[in-house]
Amino acid sequence: MPKDSPLRKKRLSRTTWPSVIFVILVIFAAASDTLAHRVVLFAYVEGNMVFTESYFSDGKKCQNSRIEVFDSSGNKLLEGQTDKNGEFSFKPPKKTDLRIVLTASMGHKDEYIIPAGDLPDGAEGKAWQSDAHGAGEKVFRARKGEEKGAPAGQLTRLEMEQIRTVVEETLDEKLKPIMRLLVKRQNEGISFIGVMGGIGFIFGIMGIILYFRSRKGR
Amino acid sequence: MHISEGVLSAPVLVTGAAITAAGCGIGLKKLDYDRVPQVAILTSAFFVASLIHIPIGPSSVHLVLNGLMGLLLGWPAFPAILIALFLQALLFQFGGITTLGVNTFNMAFPAIICFYLFAYGVKGKNNLISMGAAFACGFFGILVGSLMVAISLVFTGDPFIGIAKVVVIAHLPVMIIEGLITLFSAGFLRKLKPELLEVVHAKR
Repeated sequence: MPKDSPLRKKRLSRTTWPSVIFVILVIFAAASDTLAHRVVLFAYVEGNMVFTESYFSDGKKCQNSRIEVFDSSGNKLLEGQTDKNGEFSFKPPKKTDLRIVLTASMGHKDEYIIPAGDLPDGAEGKAWQSDAHGAGEKVFRARKGEEKGAPAGQLTRLEMEQIRTVVEETLDEKLKPIMRLLVKRQNEGISFIGVMGGIGFIFGIMGIILYFRSRKGR
Repeated sequence: MHISEGVLSAPVLVTGAAITAAGCGIGLKKLDYDRVPQVAILTSAFFVASLIHIPIGPSSVHLVLNGLMGLLLGWPAFPAILIALFLQALLFQFGGITTLGVNTFNMAFPAIICFYLFAYGVKGKNNLISMGAAFACGFFGILVGSLMVAISLVFTGDPFIGIAKVVVIAHLPVMIIEGLITLFSAGFLRKLKPELLEVVHAKR
């Protein structure tokens, strides 16, 4: 039938276009907000505490989710639950690589590794047992008291130590937002390029299938 | 609905992968190759659907569209969902490569169930029945999917009722929204191109 081909063409475009437009709309809807469906766990060391934050990548916090902390050989050191803001903090019991594992509801899981080097020195020392932020300073004061009348050289060394502690604390404070941003960037799995790439892949696969079919049919 | 890596044990992963392989085999066999572009379009719709979050309810949930996939594709929904989930794992780190088999089965099996339960009703002459069947199709796709996720997670040691409650309640808004999406899509196709709704995907 001569009439058949234009009719067929028209029918095809009528149904193809709404679908194509739907897909394009969805892409833009998705690309405008960076949304992803996974949980992200982020941990950082501040003073002698380790702080963790966890959230679904659409920004919703993971509340009451289980956090477990393992050492380098896989022994569980401690576990706890995230609070309302998806945060959990703990004092590392020893200086080792920490593997922090978050298990959120419905089979979501993420982990974050803090290398031993990131933990403050003297993990077994006095500083470690003290709770408060800025514990180093307290210990320093205590030590200074003990060593009253010590030679001048030693005092200078202690002073250096104090300066170092203060500088480190300040740096921690200043770098925290930057670190957070970096990790967030790293964890944002979704990008416009990813979405387009995925659709490209799908149509590429379609093309390959159709190519081989058309060769077979000949 | 994507189960992350490292949550499930090896036997669950292997079982899921085996069933998915079988499902994909059947799907590819039943695929009418003239329909490949349609399958590709629905695959991309499924691929991007999970980027649309539904900000209702206690947890973080998103669209799935597996009911619609099942309704329009039948068995070829299996390979289609496999490809879409593979790309989501690769590009967005949703789920994971090892859990691909289980995740595909969890989403595609409900799609097939919906196909057998509702495709006949949706393409029927009666408008009201068709609309009802389309809504139920979208609704059940997510409901059964949630239960499948709960079943997979049972083997991690938590009690079934507990997980099922959490997953199903979290997805209640999704069920309703997907029901509506399927209803409108099916209504649209019934008017414009009813032959798409016919069960023609099987090789004649």
